[in-house]
Amino acid sequence: MKVLLMGHPNVGKSVVFNRLTGANVIISNYPGTTVDYTKGYMKVKGKDFTVIDVPGTFSLEAKDKAEEVAVKMLEEEKDAVVICVVDSSKIERGLYLTLEIIERGYPVILALNMWDIAQDKSIHIDAEKLENILGIPVIPTIAINGKGIKDLVSKIKDATPVETDKILEKVGGKE
Amino acid sequence: MKLTVDERWDLIEKISKETVIFGVYKHTVKDAIGELTVKPLTGIPIAFAVLYGFWSFFGSFAGFFTDGFFVKLFDEHWLPWLQDVFPGGLGNWFYAIMVDAGHMENGILVASDNCFESFGVLTSGFFLAIGVVLPAIIAFYLILTLLEDTGYMPRLAVLIDTVLHKIGLHGFAIVPTILSLGCNVPAVTASRILETKKQRFIMMTLLAIFIPCGAQLGIMEEVIPDTIGFVLLYLFTGYFILGFILHKVLPGKSPEILIDVPPYQMPMLRDVAMKLWMRVKGFFKIAIPFVLLGCIIVNILYLANIIDWLANVLSPVLSGWFGVPKETVGPLIAAFLRKDLAVAQLSAIEMTKYQMITSVVLVSIYFPCVATFMMLLKEGWKDLLGSIAVLALVVFLYGGLLHLIWILLGVA
Repeated sequence: MKVLLMGHPNVGKSVVFNRLTGANVIISNYPGTTVDYTKGYMKVKGKDFTVIDVPGTFSLEAKDKAEEVAVKMLEEEKDAVVICVVDSSKIERGLYLTLEIIERGYPVILALNMWDIAQDKSIHIDAEKLENILGIPVIPTIAINGKGIKDLVSKIKDATPVETDKILEKVGGKE
Repeated sequence: MKLTVDERWDLIEKISKETVIFGVYKHTVKDAIGELTVKPLTGIPIAFAVLYGFWSFFGSFAGFFTDGFFVKLFDEHWLPWLQDVFPGGLGNWFYAIMVDAGHMENGILVASDNCFESFGVLTSGFFLAIGVVLPAIIAFYLILTLLEDTGYMPRLAVLIDTVLHKIGLHGFAIVPTILSLGCNVPAVTASRILETKKQRFIMMTLLAIFIPCGAQLGIMEEVIPDTIGFVLLYLFTGYFILGFILHKVLPGKSPEILIDVPPYQMPMLRDVAMKLWMRVKGFFKIAIPFVLLGCIIVNILYLANIIDWLANVLSPVLSGWFGVPKETVGPLIAAFLRKDLAVAQLSAIEMTKYQMITSVVLVSIYFPCVATFMMLLKEGWKDLLGSIAVLALVVFLYGGLLHLIWILLGVA
């Protein structure tokens, strides 16, 4: 089974990747460190997973070559589970990409990364409620010190595709 | 079901209303530092200080290990020992390739007394790779990694944005440029973060021509410590002149950027160590084979008299147009493989200070090393051909210009 790590640039996808696979891909504190994809492997309860660290992209309409790599990757891996990594302190735009991927019918797990930074900025997110509305697993993580990663791994099997209608209904439908 | 952009934002607003509470934001010390380093009035002096610090550390760290330790080890112990025990001796072809080719003094072949001149695989090859390039590369990547992991790089990008727009790029082009000062190979890949074909072409062409790599810088610090500043100034000036021209001449767009400036972070020791290790390892996987292979090839070409022949054939161009000794043809061939090797080889040729400057500039701007060449090829052969056409013109004109400057100054 394949797991794609997707999200905006500089939200920590590569850090999550290193944590999941024990591999070492280059990470930095600026957007655009990963410009090509990297594959790694992990085993969860005897099952083999291929994890792919995808370059950061703001949306599924690519604007540069690194984003093209990301979008192509998603389109090629039709059966993949997508871990959407977002910067919790900028959750709204993270949700934009998350929704785009959900709309395309992929099973998605949402990793609310940089949870500590959001708290520093006194941004409080009700992860349970968010999970309820989106209908997908939502896990707060701090990838840099490993918090939440175990949880993230254990939820991969729970990811299923969600109809956008269901999400709309939960927040009161379309206007 | 797929949503339109507006519907999607609408939905997000509703979701976030129910799940997110945005509290009052407190201004922290981190933010204050962040602002100081990004506002031009304070940011620009800080940027100069940071880059100057980078350069000083690079020079003194590398110098400390190279001059203080490796030069002595290789010249006083390793070279004499090999000259003693290696079978064959001066004049033997295998000995020449592996240990010391010697050089002519008043018609007599004499042994070399240092590892810059001997040019054997086991002597110069190892000395350059381990004694000179290794400390330089470690010093460079250590500082680069710290700048990256703290989050300083995007701030530098913001500061330099206006300048880089003049050459058709934008602030973020500073990332491939600085990476390139370590090694051109990863820098070529990093150019992908630029949005348009035009930007990528400009970036890759400028990197391939004007940015010397860390290995080359390390050797330059060793062999031309007094004039390295001038060489770099001449190269960086060329970077801007050519960028400006390409920007005016080439069709295509150079868009603005919106960039996320991440908060400053304390670099994690484990991550810094890991990244440094991976980069140094990656670098050496590319460098060592080519340095050693370069020594072998150059020696064979010398022994087969091919270099002498080429030197005579190209003499009108080299001494006529560029004003450098015709013997520089050897280093220019080595520069196909490794620029560091080429600069080291230049140091063994007798010439004036000014000819040396021209030669080092030529080695730098002329043809990317083979590893970089392969990387450029991977990004597309059409662009590569274009870059090479530009390069040929630049070498001829910009290299020739330096000769003209020396003539005007009366020092040619």
